Amino acid sequence: MSERADVIKQFAKGLTPTLLGLVGVAMLALPLRLFEGTAPLPLIPLLIVFFWSIYAPDYLPAPSIFVIGLLQDLYSGGPIGLWALIYLGVQYTFINQRSYFLGREQRVVWVGFMFATALAGAAFWAMTSLAAGNPMPLRPLALQLILTIAAYPVLAIAFSHLQRRVIAQR
Amino acid sequence: MQVIGREQRVGLGRKANSKAILLLLILVSALLLLSSLYAAEASVFKRARQSVVDASAPLLEMLAEPISMVQDMVGSVSDYFSVLEQNKALREENAELRQWMEEALQLRRTVAAFERLDGYRAPPDARPINAFVIGEPSDVYTQSMLLNAGALDQVAVGNAVVDDFGLVGRVVETGRRSARVLLLTDAQSRVPVYVEAAELEGILIGRPGGRPVISYTRGKPADALKPGQRVVTSGAGGVLPPGLPVGVVETIAETEASVDLHVNYVRTRLVRVINYDLAGLELDDSPPGDFYDVRDEKPNGASDGPAADDASASEGAEPDSDALTTISARPDNAVPGAASAAVVQASSNDAASIDASGIDTSVGAIAAEGAGN
Repeated sequence: MSERADVIKQFAKGLTPTLLGLVGVAMLALPLRLFEGTAPLPLIPLLIVFFWSIYAPDYLPAPSIFVIGLLQDLYSGGPIGLWALIYLGVQYTFINQRSYFLGREQRVVWVGFMFATALAGAAFWAMTSLAAGNPMPLRPLALQLILTIAAYPVLAIAFSHLQRRVIAQR
Repeated sequence: MQVIGREQRVGLGRKANSKAILLLLILVSALLLLSSLYAAEASVFKRARQSVVDASAPLLEMLAEPISMVQDMVGSVSDYFSVLEQNKALREENAELRQWMEEALQLRRTVAAFERLDGYRAPPDARPINAFVIGEPSDVYTQSMLLNAGALDQVAVGNAVVDDFGLVGRVVETGRRSARVLLLTDAQSRVPVYVEAAELEGILIGRPGGRPVISYTRGKPADALKPGQRVVTSGAGGVLPPGLPVGVVETIAETEASVDLHVNYVRTRLVRVINYDLAGLELDDSPPGDFYDVRDEKPNGASDGPAADDASASEGAEPDSDALTTISARPDNAVPGAASAAVVQASSNDAASIDASGIDTSVGAIAAEGAGN
């Protein structure tokens, strides 16, 4: 393979997590209406940010996360900068805990993700309530967070295969 | 095979994920958040949002199509198992709707007669714009939808958006080819409404994760309010055109009543943006109160309720004679368009004197009276 094609290939691979995050944002913006609209879509970008912050932060650097979060804010119609701040905060928090999570069992990482989700949810709830001037109801948010946590094990398996077999493969 | 998590410095991550950049971006987003909260609706943010949504509208449109196709397929599979029940229900509904059609045709004739009166001023022309829902952000606290029609299609901020069932919401942002609709369930949503049977005006306020509520502003105290009463837009403040069906009253509390919306947001796909020329809607010589007070003079037995309606529907022998009285006797079920008849009634007090003596004759009488004036 020529050197140039190799560079392009490596670049495309490096871009994959960012693109996945953007796909996650697009899914949140589309009228998917799972289960007759009774279940909100899991926060897939949060999952992607957490996963790559733990396992390969170089592939999902802060500018990528900023773009992902900002785009989600622009689509959602909420205050701008909210999700960008939350996702960057998750990366900041968990990039410092990498050494603890690396090489641990998936169950342990899943518990870590529960913390990340709770943290993100609490920040989102607090800032939205602050912006609205009165406390927002917790139930719809709790449902979305639970679904996000439930989606982690399945997507984490897919992402780790992707990261190990495709992206990190030279 | 490489161990996951080992430092990789290839592709996008050639240079290490620098903590300085991370902190800088955290600062930037915090500043963005603060300025978007405190300089709410800053034009820069608004324009950024519009142009991003606009730019991705074709992509969203492309993606939304297969999604609705799959939803249709799933829908038809589940429909297959209940086809007999559905058929029966549809037959019944069809029979009922035929009755309404007859009444509507009668009303159209009555309205046409009123329109020939001197004092009549035509309502402003509506220019409905059809649009598809191409986005529905699943943000738990912001309830909105994105449409594939924008400023180029004459969609403007403030326009009402309706579907087959009733009011969906109103346009809050427009791009060139896209628009955002704030749904009635959003916490920011405020829509002036009117409960017809209770003669009560209020503001419909969205409640996140729940049914929207009416906060009473004007009219009789809440004891006139009963579950099942029809809620329509009041047109107060010129925000939305009056008479658009919104829902029915569900539960009633001291200062507010929750409303069961007609619209089912899970099914909302094709909508209609109503672009009224609201400048022509100034009822300067008749204050808003008069518009509704005319209902006090409802002819015979206004409170007969559903039983009376069923009786007149099943008579069949004289469908003409009861047509108009049935409509005014059951304001909580009046067909769309009845509102315009009410406007005409308001313009002439004599109009309320129509009774069961037969529409054709009374229309003639009023037309003659109008000519006499």
